[in-house]
Amino acid sequence: MRRIGAAIASLAAFLVLWKVATVIGGYPEFILPAPEQVAAEGANVIGSGVLWTHTATTLLEVVLGFSAGATAAVLTGIALGKSVLVERVLSPYIVAAQAIPILALAPLLHIWFGGGLLARVVICALIVFFPIAIATMVGIRSADPLLDEMLRSLGARPAQRTRLLEIPSALPVIFGGLRVGVTLAVIGAIVAEWTGATVGLGVLINIANQGLFNTSLMFVALATLAAIGLVFYGLVVSVERRLVSR
Amino acid sequence: MSSQTTTAGSVDLRDVGLRFGAPEDGLQALDGLSLDVPAGSFTVIIGPNGCGKSTMLRLVAGLLQPSAGSVTVGDMPPRAGDGRVSLAFQQPRLVPWRSTLDNVAMPLELAGAGTPERRARALEALERVGLAAAAGLRPRELSGGMAQRAALARALIGDPPVLLLDEPFSALDALTRETFDAELQRLWLERRRTVILVTHSVAEAVALADRVVVLTPRPGRVARIVEVDLPRPRSAELLGDPRAAAVATEVREALVAGHAIELRPWAQQEGAA
Repeated sequence: MRRIGAAIASLAAFLVLWKVATVIGGYPEFILPAPEQVAAEGANVIGSGVLWTHTATTLLEVVLGFSAGATAAVLTGIALGKSVLVERVLSPYIVAAQAIPILALAPLLHIWFGGGLLARVVICALIVFFPIAIATMVGIRSADPLLDEMLRSLGARPAQRTRLLEIPSALPVIFGGLRVGVTLAVIGAIVAEWTGATVGLGVLINIANQGLFNTSLMFVALATLAAIGLVFYGLVVSVERRLVSR
Repeated sequence: MSSQTTTAGSVDLRDVGLRFGAPEDGLQALDGLSLDVPAGSFTVIIGPNGCGKSTMLRLVAGLLQPSAGSVTVGDMPPRAGDGRVSLAFQQPRLVPWRSTLDNVAMPLELAGAGTPERRARALEALERVGLAAAAGLRPRELSGGMAQRAALARALIGDPPVLLLDEPFSALDALTRETFDAELQRLWLERRRTVILVTHSVAEAVALADRVVVLTPRPGRVARIVEVDLPRPRSAELLGDPRAAAVATEVREALVAGHAIELRPWAQQEGAA
């Protein structure tokens, strides 16, 4: 209850400061709209269903991209963590793919994956992959060697050691990677939309910016993106609380 | 007393050598170690730091393979997890995110036993070591002594013919340690499985062993075997007995003979000062 109260108080303070800034600065709406102008625009696009159309597409990209990217990353991270050979062979490609900015890679991925939802999910998955794979690898290697020897003395096979020791040891670190990854998934979705899409919150931002000079609408889209990030981050944290018991 | 009449619990090390690392600059941990441990006996291994005592136990547990010679348990070389040998370590090595009960049940879980059987037998093992009340606690909620009891229960649960103990009580205070030694003796007298215990303590060796095996400094080899022919159960009072004192003296002499080479430079320095 107190946590919710603190969050409401900080949001209220933020709105007040924002309002004060617009009053003192006297900016035109296309530079810094006032909170009530943004609220009115929000009510408008919610009522017309426009916001939901764009949000639904972005949500789908984030959910699919994050799920696919995180699953692939955890599996790859386990292989990287368990085998030095796998790390030597794969890590140059993984690091190189990460070193190329996703914005530069996105047009190519649109060509390869047909420019539709699949291409946008792939872009999203790719940006999510790196932090989760690396976190998983580091986590797998953090397993206590004394416990590993204990399990080997009991005849545990490599797969049993992974299930009973390495994955549970790695979980806190994997969740660190998932927390980073889930916020990157939102970035991935927007980059994917900017490089080739007709619907989505990234598209809505472009329309508001270039077509309409509607800064209030941009604020609505940005606030929606922030809300998506917060909700998914919160979901990851609540799953983490349930699984990581220490 | 369900003492096993077969030789399933006998342990035989023949000319065992073990080298870590490369042939030219590796570490020779054991060299030409031969030891015959009869089934059902209580053998204590004692020796200076780094003489390869723990390495020897890992060979018998099947965790390491000898570079030379052979190790047999019963009539076959040991393989980790074959159910014939269990090893309790110097540290309890409990998995922190599992309850005490689930830690103790781990050997059965790895062997594929069902949950009801695991729970029943783990509780039974915890009862044997006097820890049934702590079954639901996490390892971090256990004292050092309780954690070590849990580790002992995990080693006992499969009732293997050979139990290896690598200084399991060395982190405990002296009085607790005496209690543990007495309990270990009681557990051994109940079932008479083969026990090989590694220790640094001459008193512990005399209190528990049928035979004390003194190892040389690295590379480890058997320096002397001292038979301990004292009646059981041995109480703390018995250890004040002149016969016990004589055994302790013999063990200590064998240890000092091995140590003498290492200690000589210090003795010379003291003499010069």
